[in-house]
Formats: sequence, C-alpha cells, structure tokens
Amino acid sequence: MTCSEVERILPELLDGAAERVFPAEFETHVKSCPACSGLVSDLRLIASESRQLAASEEPSPRVWVRIAAELRAEGLICDPATREPKAAPTRPILISTSPRRRWSAWWLAPVAAALLAAGAYVVSHEPAPQVAKQTAAAPVTVRSSVPETAAVSSDRVTTPAPQRLARKSAKPADRLGPAARPAVEPEPSAEDQQFLSVVSTLAPSMRASYESELQAVNADILETQAYVNRNPGDADARQHLMDAYQQKALLYQIALDRIQ
Amino acid sequence: MTDPKQGITEAEAIEQAKQGHEAAFEVLYHLHKRRVYSLCLRMVSNPVQAEDLAQEAFLQLFRKIGTFRGESAFSTWLHRMTVNVVLMQLRKKGLPVVSLEETLESDDEAPRKEFGTKDVKLTGSIDRLQLQRAIDKLPPGYRTVFVLHDVEGFEHNEIAEMVGCSIGNSKSQLHKARLKLRDYLKFMRAEKAKTG
Repeated sequence: MTCSEVERILPELLDGAAERVFPAEFETHVKSCPACSGLVSDLRLIASESRQLAASEEPSPRVWVRIAAELRAEGLICDPATREPKAAPTRPILISTSPRRRWSAWWLAPVAAALLAAGAYVVSHEPAPQVAKQTAAAPVTVRSSVPETAAVSSDRVTTPAPQRLARKSAKPADRLGPAARPAVEPEPSAEDQQFLSVVSTLAPSMRASYESELQAVNADILETQAYVNRNPGDADARQHLMDAYQQKALLYQIALDRIQ
Repeated sequence: MTDPKQGITEAEAIEQAKQGHEAAFEVLYHLHKRRVYSLCLRMVSNPVQAEDLAQEAFLQLFRKIGTFRGESAFSTWLHRMTVNVVLMQLRKKGLPVVSLEETLESDDEAPRKEFGTKDVKLTGSIDRLQLQRAIDKLPPGYRTVFVLHDVEGFEHNEIAEMVGCSIGNSKSQLHKARLKLRDYLKFMRAEKAKTG
C-alpha cells in the first residue's frame, strides 16, 4: 500500500475507528512509514481532543434573563396560584399602587430609579433618535404611576426619586447629582443589598444563581459605564448600557415574582 | 438526568414546564445551557452571536415543549433544534453550510506548510485553546461538519440530512477539516516555539 492509498481510505477508516479493524496492509504500511504514522496519530488525536470541547463553554447570565422575559411576554409562564399566564414586565417597569402589590412597590422604586438614571445619562448625551424615543418615554411613564410622597416604608407606596430624576433627565449629565447615578456604584449598592436580602429567602441553589447573575450584570454595567464615560458619543454603547440596566430590572422582577 | 441543586429530574421538569412553571424552565435551561451554547459558539465563532442563537434555540424548544412525548431523549431533541437554528442563521447570512468542492476553494487562509512536515507529529496532548482557535480559523463549511461530527458526535448520515449533502461529502469535508486543523496546530506550535 502506498502513502496516497492510505490517505485515500483514511476518511473511511477513521470514522468510528475505535472498534474498527484496519486492513492488514494498511497497518503494515503505517508501521513502517513515519509520515503516515504521524498523520494517522495526529488525526486521531484531533478527533479525540475535540470531543472535550462539547459543553465546555458557559453562556452569560443575561441569556436566561432574556429567555425568561420572552417566555413571560409570550404567556408561556403561568402564575401557579391563578394558572393565568404571567404578564411580562413592561418597559420601564411600572409601579402599581394596588394593595396586592403594595408590598412590592417600594422594592421596585430603586429599580425604576436605576432605569431612569441610565435613561437620564443616555439622554443627556444626545443619543441616536431610536434611543431618544425610548428614554424620552421612560420618565413620562413612571411619572404617571409614581406617587408624590418621599419616604420609603413598608406600608406606603413612596418614590420621590424617580420624579426628581425625571425632571432632571433633560439636564446635562455633569449637572446630575449623585442621586441620579445610584446604579453606577460599585457593588453592592443599596438596591443590590435589598435584592440580596430578598433572594436570601430562596433555596440556597437559587440564591446562588441570582447572586451570580446580579454580579454578572453589575460587572457589565460597570464596564459599559466606564466605556461610555470615555466615549460619550458612542450611541451603541449607550444603548448597551440602557439594555444592561433593563436586564438588571428584569432580574429583580423575576426574583420578586418567584418569592410572591 | 437530575438537577442536583433542585432535586428534580429532567422528566419532572419537562412535565412542570408544560404546565408553565417558570422554575421548571429554568431547571431545563441550566441542565443544557453549556451544551447548547458551546455548540453555537463552535459553529459561529462569535460569543455574542452564539448567545443569541442559544437563546433562540431554547425559546423554540420551550414553545414546543407541549409537543414533546418522550419518544427520543430530550437532549437529542434540543441538540437537533440547536443545530437547525444555527444552520438557518448561516443560510440567512449566505454563508456556506458545507464547503464547495476542493478545486473551488481558496487556500489563502492555510498557513504555509514549511513547518508541517509529514513526519512531525502533534506529540502529547493538544492545547485546548489552540484547538479552539484553529477551529475558529476553519472555513465555515469545514467547521460545520467538523463541529457536528468530532465535537458534537453526530453521525455522517445525520449530518448529511441536516446540512443537505451526501454522506460521502460529509466524510470528505470532515477529513479535509481535520487535515487543515493539523496544519494550523503545527503552525501555531512552531510559531510558539519561535517566540519562546
């Protein structure tokens, strides 16, 4: 058998070759030919090592957050109490003043504040038209549903910050006070601490999952924020930053719905 | 398959997901996310795209979960769906799913073979990172067949059905892909040796 003949029949032989019996003349040639021996050995090694790559990579936590949001939007996730499809959170997340959700309303206030802070920052840097439409809508929506009172307490629905932030959204970013940038703090922020205290009531495995996802989305926000600070004219980056804040808000919403 | 953290079997999660339980969807996602995402990443070599494709694959699966009757393994069903999602994306982009005949291909991407003498073996194990990079360098058509066969374990008859080629073509593409990888890996190894 020649080297050319070996190479011609190699594809057939190496396919599922673990249990295959090789022709004697093939074995004889390969044993005596360093080039063909090297070729066969290398191709076997590549095939075997490649199998280790299956399931070797981990997607970011964002993927599940987006999947969950879409499942809700399509009504595929049911409320176990009512068997009704769970409604997807609207963008931005509206704060309901109904008694049933009063307990949760104060919880969502910092989330709305974080979203508005991101929107204010984006708008103040003259984003692209499509971004401007989204961010322009956010303050109006929240203003219509947020009560006037200031303090956050367990038995009142109160959120002053979003209204103040909404009024500030037209101002340049450098005139925004610290209150307008609550979500750009190093973790854990006050909102994150509240989130973590809520998910601490979940099973350990679920708690760990939420903590991990929060960490990942915070890291994304920090990194993107730093980039936007250096490149304020980058509309895509600003959009990405807004998306990251919204993902964080969705994460809060998913955790909240789980514990209700 | 059981999610040890949740104490719930895959079969239980499937039944609960059919009822719309969010936790069940999440269990199924975490059980299979690495396999799905890794497959997408190997096929498109782009993490952002791979995440989008993985998301789409899971969504398609979850939308159809009510139709799953258990005749085949759930993972097989998901696996195939993922491959279809990726192939559809490649076709939409006009990228070749299977390479054309050798004479029509350009060899511009292949490294010069001055380091790849036939009697030099890839001794020992292959550096996984180098292997990943080498796979990323493969032309899309070769990469598809190689990933489906050597990484994901599909048989040639399955690959032929999925990508729309003959079994012989699938085997031929796989062999060429492995030869190219061999050259890339030797080139990388030689380059690394030069730079120390």
